[in-house]
Amino acid sequence: MPLHNSASSSASGRPSIELITILVVCAIIFAVPTLLNNDYLLNKLARYLVLGILAMSLSLSWGYAGILNLGQAMSFGLGSYAMAMTLKLKTVPVHTGPQGLPDFMVWNNVTSLPWFWQPFESHLFAICAGMLVPAAVAAALGWFMFRGRVTGVYVAIITLAAMVVLNLVIIDQQQYTGGFNGITDLAQLEYFGIAFDAYSRATYYLVSFCLTGALLLAYAFTQTKAGLIIQAIRDHESRVRYFGYDVGAYQIAAFALSAAIAGLAGMLYTIVMEFASPTFLGVQLSLSVVVWCAVGGRQSLLGALLGAILVAGVQGALSESAAFVETWTLVMGALFVLIVLFLPKGLAGLAGSLWTLLQWRRVDGISPVRQFHQTEGGHERLSSAE
Amino acid sequence: MDQFIQQIFTGLSIGSILLLVALGLSIIYGSMGIINLAHGEFVMLGAYGAWLMQTKFGLGLFASLVPIFLLVALFGWLIERFVLSFLNNRPLDTILATWGVGIMLQQAVRLTVGGELRYVKMPELLSSSTEVLGVQVSLYRIFLLGMAVVLFALTWLLMNRTTVGMKLRAIIQDRSIAASFGVNSRRIYGLTFAYGAGLAGLAGALVSPLKSVSPEMGTTYVIDAFMVVVLGGVQSLIGTVASAFILGELSGAIAFLQNDTVAKATVLLAIVVLIRFKPQGMFSARVRA
Repeated sequence: MPLHNSASSSASGRPSIELITILVVCAIIFAVPTLLNNDYLLNKLARYLVLGILAMSLSLSWGYAGILNLGQAMSFGLGSYAMAMTLKLKTVPVHTGPQGLPDFMVWNNVTSLPWFWQPFESHLFAICAGMLVPAAVAAALGWFMFRGRVTGVYVAIITLAAMVVLNLVIIDQQQYTGGFNGITDLAQLEYFGIAFDAYSRATYYLVSFCLTGALLLAYAFTQTKAGLIIQAIRDHESRVRYFGYDVGAYQIAAFALSAAIAGLAGMLYTIVMEFASPTFLGVQLSLSVVVWCAVGGRQSLLGALLGAILVAGVQGALSESAAFVETWTLVMGALFVLIVLFLPKGLAGLAGSLWTLLQWRRVDGISPVRQFHQTEGGHERLSSAE
Repeated sequence: MDQFIQQIFTGLSIGSILLLVALGLSIIYGSMGIINLAHGEFVMLGAYGAWLMQTKFGLGLFASLVPIFLLVALFGWLIERFVLSFLNNRPLDTILATWGVGIMLQQAVRLTVGGELRYVKMPELLSSSTEVLGVQVSLYRIFLLGMAVVLFALTWLLMNRTTVGMKLRAIIQDRSIAASFGVNSRRIYGLTFAYGAGLAGLAGALVSPLKSVSPEMGTTYVIDAFMVVVLGGVQSLIGTVASAFILGELSGAIAFLQNDTVAKATVLLAIVVLIRFKPQGMFSARVRA
């Protein structure tokens, strides 16, 4: 039983094909601004790319590690708030207290900057925190869950509940977090002497650069021994445990890495959108990420990324007209149900099967159907036996 | 003292609504292992049913309860037949599929009926309040409590004293052995899901005079109801009742002492901790694995 389609078929050379595809896609993303000379569209595109990174991070934990994290937006929101806090302290506030307090603190009669805001005077601290805080929160939550061997549906419920709690707290603690309105009126990020205006090429390239880095990092992780063990845990947890592996530790690691990437996406989202809001860690967004992942292919990093760009992009394009959006949501729901029912591996799985069919002449003696069953059907049978 | 009794009644009222919504969910999750995220939308459909009956046909709330139950149950049956029966042994995917169904239902209602808030009139008979133990209690809330108890009793009888219920319990214990004894599990599953959906529809119709009716109203209920089911323990109807009232009293009390947000957050955290240490819930029935 091969572990996974990307890792299994070293004979047919698929890992390298996956890597080549990733590099080609990244190259295309980098090439877009040379063709598209429109800052407004570039900003929109950058936004979809950021959502793509978020979906990719979920694919790492859901598709590869088998951890369905319905609270993926929690990490995203934490990253986004970290960036918003540091940028807020750089603004020239309209209404400020004696120490240049953020405006919403003044409105809520806060007299001095709270201690947990103070380190955010430094951009570097914020950028580190934007990834390390989500990773630490995820590691703690992972420790709590996986050490108790919580699996399946309960993981989904716990992650969702944790996110809802954080969301409630952020909305409730208006004086420190801006409450329901979030943190708005942000300065531009300036780093290495470059100002990252949301509507500029610099920001687009920043997003593309981070996307390439995150994608390659995640891909590299799936190719390491730990990455293979993670996939083995997904397919048959107790068997891996009998081999003597510390299943919980691997799950925590994958969960934390996924959260760190989601945190990075959150920081970029704040730069692109120029605000942070409690909706960034809302149930709506979090479940949308799951949809993007499922449509693109949960077990393919690139598939999840492209799924997000595709779905969010179409939704954005149709949002010009209200009637279209309403119908689109209906179509989207139907499409999603169909994909869950009949294409559990999403569009990437479909592409993989087509690729196998195209290739069958080159593989002597194995009919495409049998090969399909070996790579796709075998896994289904194993998981349904549990 | 009056305030204390008032507080108890508030908790009972929250608890009875929770129980009404969670009862159907508990049966579906407990017996079929399906995480039904569309449950809130069934509640919403029931509430819209009550509104439609009232504005279009001039039917009162009492008269529309039975047709609403049947309609929403039919809806549930269709969804089970054409979506969920494809997802045997894929419990995580049922979350996704039912969520997709939920979105579609919400959107379909928004497109056909419109997204604005709707209001359902309370039956004249129950719109006053009465004095119980020295505090004023709305008659309608007492009626809700009564309905919750009655529906629970009916469900219990259905599960434990009828042939369909016996077959369902056989399937829960071992589907293949039940099938080899001639139990048609697909038919039973369809009926179970339909019954659960119908109960959700009734819950929606019953709460509709208290809340405004909107396409999004279901989302808040489904999470709360889930917490009830998880707390009570899968496959334990008694547990569902107990946990509904525990959660009702608890959130009533914390909301009184602190505020609604703190109440919600505390209850959620408590449940997360409970899942970690006692995933089978507080009142779990013994099940053969």
